[in-house]
Amino acid sequence: MAAALIAVLSVTVLGVPFVLALDRDAPPLRLLGLAYLYGTGAIYFALLALSVLHVRWSLVSVTIAALILALPFVRRPGGQARVPVLHVVDLFALLTPIAFAIYATMVALWEWDFWAIWGLKARVFLERGGVDWRFLESRWNVFAHPDYPLLVPFAYDFAALVNGGWSDRWLGVLFVGWAVAFLLVARELAGREVRPLAAALAGVVMSSVAISTFVGLAEGALIAYLGAGVLFVRRALLFDDDAAWRHGAILLGLAACTKNEGLAMIICVAIAILIIDARRVVRLWPAAAIALPWLVLRALHRLPTDLASGSLAAHVAAHASQAGAMFRLLAKNTYPPWLWVAMLAGLLVLPAAARARERFVLIAVFLQLLVYVAVYFATPHDVLWHIRTSWTRLTMQVAPPLAFAVMIELARHAEARSEQQ
Amino acid sequence: MRRTLTRIAFLAIVAASISPMPLFVPFYGRAALEPLFTRYEPPAWREYLPFLDGVREHTRGGETVAVLVPAPRWDPGYAYAYYRASYVLAGREVLPLMEPDGRVVPENLLRADLVAVWHAPPPRTHRTLVWSGHGGALLRR
Repeated sequence: MAAALIAVLSVTVLGVPFVLALDRDAPPLRLLGLAYLYGTGAIYFALLALSVLHVRWSLVSVTIAALILALPFVRRPGGQARVPVLHVVDLFALLTPIAFAIYATMVALWEWDFWAIWGLKARVFLERGGVDWRFLESRWNVFAHPDYPLLVPFAYDFAALVNGGWSDRWLGVLFVGWAVAFLLVARELAGREVRPLAAALAGVVMSSVAISTFVGLAEGALIAYLGAGVLFVRRALLFDDDAAWRHGAILLGLAACTKNEGLAMIICVAIAILIIDARRVVRLWPAAAIALPWLVLRALHRLPTDLASGSLAAHVAAHASQAGAMFRLLAKNTYPPWLWVAMLAGLLVLPAAARARERFVLIAVFLQLLVYVAVYFATPHDVLWHIRTSWTRLTMQVAPPLAFAVMIELARHAEARSEQQ
Repeated sequence: MRRTLTRIAFLAIVAASISPMPLFVPFYGRAALEPLFTRYEPPAWREYLPFLDGVREHTRGGETVAVLVPAPRWDPGYAYAYYRASYVLAGREVLPLMEPDGRVVPENLLRADLVAVWHAPPPRTHRTLVWSGHGGALLRR
C-alpha cells in the first residue's frame, strides 16, 4: 500500500509546477486537484517519450524524464490565491470518497476489463520496460483493444516502478485520487458561483457521481479529466477566464489520452463552442496537441479498432431493425437513473435564461450522448450485448458536468429569488 | 412557487446522487462482498489461477506459451482461460488455441515453446514435463 500511496503523492507533487505555470493564483482546492490530474498526465508523457526514444523504463529513467518535463514549468505561486469559503456540509462530501477508498482497496483489482485490457497492457509493458508494440500489433491481442490510449496503464506502470515490481493489490488507490481530484476542482469552481452551502451540496453530489465503481477500468480517470475539462471550458466561456481556457483544453486533451470517449468529447466541445462563439474554438488547440502523439503512434503502428471492422452500412442496417429494443435497453441502463431524472426535472424547472446560460454544457453532453448512440448503430458486435456492457459506464462519464451545471443554475436562481424578496 | 420548485429540484439532485454503492461498503465485511469480487471467476475454475502462477514461475520472459483447457466454446469458457493467462503470464507470448468464432487454431500449438495444459489430455506435440500442479501441467516441446 505504501508504494501506491507514494506514487499518488509523487504524481501530485509533480503536477504542482504545471498547475502554477498555467494558473499562478490557483486556489488550494484547485491546485491540489489539478496537481494530481496533471501529474498523472505528465507521467503518461514521460513514459511515452521514453518508449519512443527506446529508453528502458526504470524508476530512475522515469523520474529524470518527469523532471525534465516539469522543470521548465517551475514558477513561484502568485500569492493571490483565493481562499475557499467552506461549509460544514462539505464534510459530507468526504463520506463517499472514504467509503470508495475502502471498496477500491479491499482486494486486488477484480474487473474483467482490468486484467483483459488496462492492467494487462500495463503488466506487459512493465515486463518489456516500455510499450510493447509487438504485443499491441499481434492479431491474438485484439481483445486487449490495442487502440485504446495509455494514460491509465502508464499510471499503473508508474505505481509498479515505485513498488519495485508488478502488484495489482493496491492500484485502486489511484482511482481514489482521480475521484478526489475531480471533487476538489468541482467544489472550487462551484464556490465561485454560488453561496457556500449550495457549493458544498454541489460538492456532495460531485463526490458521489465522480466515482466509478468499475475500479481498474479507465472510467474513473476519464470522469475526472472529462468532467473537469468541460467544467473549465464552461467557466472560460461564461467568465472569459484565461486560466480556465488553459485548464479546460489541457484536461480535455488528457481525457483523450485516457479513453477514446475523451477524443469524442474534444470534438463535441469544439462543436458546442462553434455554435456558441466560433472565434474561441481555437483556444482548444492544446487539447488536440495533447491527444495527437498517441493518434500518430496508433496510426504508424496500424493498431486495429474493433469498431471499424466490417461494413459500416451493413452494421447500421442490421441494428436499425433493433432500434426499439436498443432504446429500451438504453433507458433501462442509464446510470444513475434517478439522478438523470432529477437533472432533467431540474432543467425543466429552470427559466429559459438559465438554460441558455448552460447551453455549452447541454450541447456538449447531448452531442457526446449522440456519438455514443451512433457508435452503437455502427458496432460490429451484438448491439444489445454492447449496450448492456457499456451504457451504464458511458452515462456515468457525462453525468457530473451536467449535474454541476443544473445545480449551479438552480442554486443561482433560488438565491436570486430570495434576494429579490 | 417557482422558488420552491427550484429548491425541490436542487435537493432532488442531491438525494438522487446518493448511491448505496460504495457508500455503504464500510458496513459490509469482505466476505459479504466476495461474490462481487469473484463474479468473473467461474467456481469450477478456482484452481486455474494458482496453476497459472505456477506456469509463470516455470517460464521465462519471451517464451511462447499455448493454453489448452477443457472449454469447447470461446465464450463462456476459452475466452476466460486465454485472457487470464495473458495477464498472469505477461512478458511471455501467450497464444490461444481457439478463435473467438470457435475455430481451433492448431498452428499455434506448433508455434508454442510450451503448452500449459489444465484438466485436459496433453498434446502429442509437447512431451517434456516442466512442472505440474493445481490440476495441470506445463509441457515443453
